[in-house]
Amino acid sequence: MKNIIVTGASKGLGLCVTKHLITNGYHVIAINRTISTNLKNLKKDYPESLSIIMFDLANVNQIHSDIFQKELGFNRPIHGFINNAAIAYDDIISNLDYKKLEEMYRVNVYSPMILTKYIIRHMLLHKISGSIVHISSISAHTGYKGLAMYASTKGAIEAFSLNTAREWGEKGIRSNCIVAGFMETEMSSELDSQQKNRIYKRTCLKQPTSQDSVSKTALFLLSDDSSSITAQNLFVDSGTI
Amino acid sequence: MENKLLEIINTVLLNRGNEELKDLTKNTQLRNDIGFDSLDLAELTVRIEAEFGIDIFEDGIVLTVGDIISKITAI
Ligand SMILES: NC(=O)c1ccc[n+]([C@@H]2O[C@H](COP(=O)([O-])OP(=O)(O)OC[C@H]3O[C@@H](n4cnc5c(N)ncnc54)[C@H](OP(=O)(O)O)[C@@H]3O)[C@@H](O)[C@H]2O)c1
Repeated sequence: MKNIIVTGASKGLGLCVTKHLITNGYHVIAINRTISTNLKNLKKDYPESLSIIMFDLANVNQIHSDIFQKELGFNRPIHGFINNAAIAYDDIISNLDYKKLEEMYRVNVYSPMILTKYIIRHMLLHKISGSIVHISSISAHTGYKGLAMYASTKGAIEAFSLNTAREWGEKGIRSNCIVAGFMETEMSSELDSQQKNRIYKRTCLKQPTSQDSVSKTALFLLSDDSSSITAQNLFVDSGTI
Repeated sequence: MENKLLEIINTVLLNRGNEELKDLTKNTQLRNDIGFDSLDLAELTVRIEAEFGIDIFEDGIVLTVGDIISKITAI
């Protein structure tokens, strides 16, 4: 059974992708702060296919000891990583609050980088040609009012992914980003329907991005079917125009 | 411990399709004598951590086999 680390599996897209992974025969190591009822039920239904690590990704310095030393150890190989957990601090730039910005960078950028560091080491130890998938956002490509700070974290992750691919390709390790469009999750729940409609109008399909479609793209990028795909940004966004 | 270290270094060499070493001296240089590049050193680091529980590159410079041995014995 292949082991995949998924951050932020308690709800939203992370939960959706975790369900798809489990039903396709993967073992998921979920990292999130809370255990939602949905995640608990999934664990009940598939006890062998899901391990949950409760961890706050704002604690970057604790990743090595709490996740890798205490929980994972060296014996269990890691085949893939879905960097999904993120927070969206939105405001206009003239209101920028450094504390909130710094926390968002810890969760969205620094922690994924440190996780990647130790996951690559694990892959080297077990000689695994693993696959890393970052969930980026269309906001990094098409500007939206109020999302400058959030979008910048995704831009950072896209650059990191590209360079990960370049650096580790010779070991067979791949890294790609899925550039997701707006999805109906808690993250986007504060938008009113007028704002949402404005966003959906800016897409070819005129509708929200489907979490299932993003999840299945993630599964494709983890699988050998995508063995020649690396250093890419795949847009799963209803065709933003 | 020196034998285990030799075994680990040879694993990294073999994974690259290089010839194994018969012995090590404390002055053996990881890059210049053994020919490790940065990716080999990354693999060496994790193999040593998995065996001895120490990240040799976490602080300070490690250039020779002797540097690794003193890191491991310092734990
Ligand atoms: N929703 C959208 O429209 C949209 C669009 C484009 C891209 N995205 C991206 O898609 C990904 C998933 O977003 P989503 O919409 O599913 O968001 P969501 O519903 O808010 O879920 C976020 C997940 O991240 C986890 N998380 C947040 N902060 C954490 C922390 N400090 N430590 C550990 N886990 C943490 C949460 O778990 P806990 O609360 O249990 O910790 C939760 O499982 C994100 O990368 C987001 O940027 C979303």
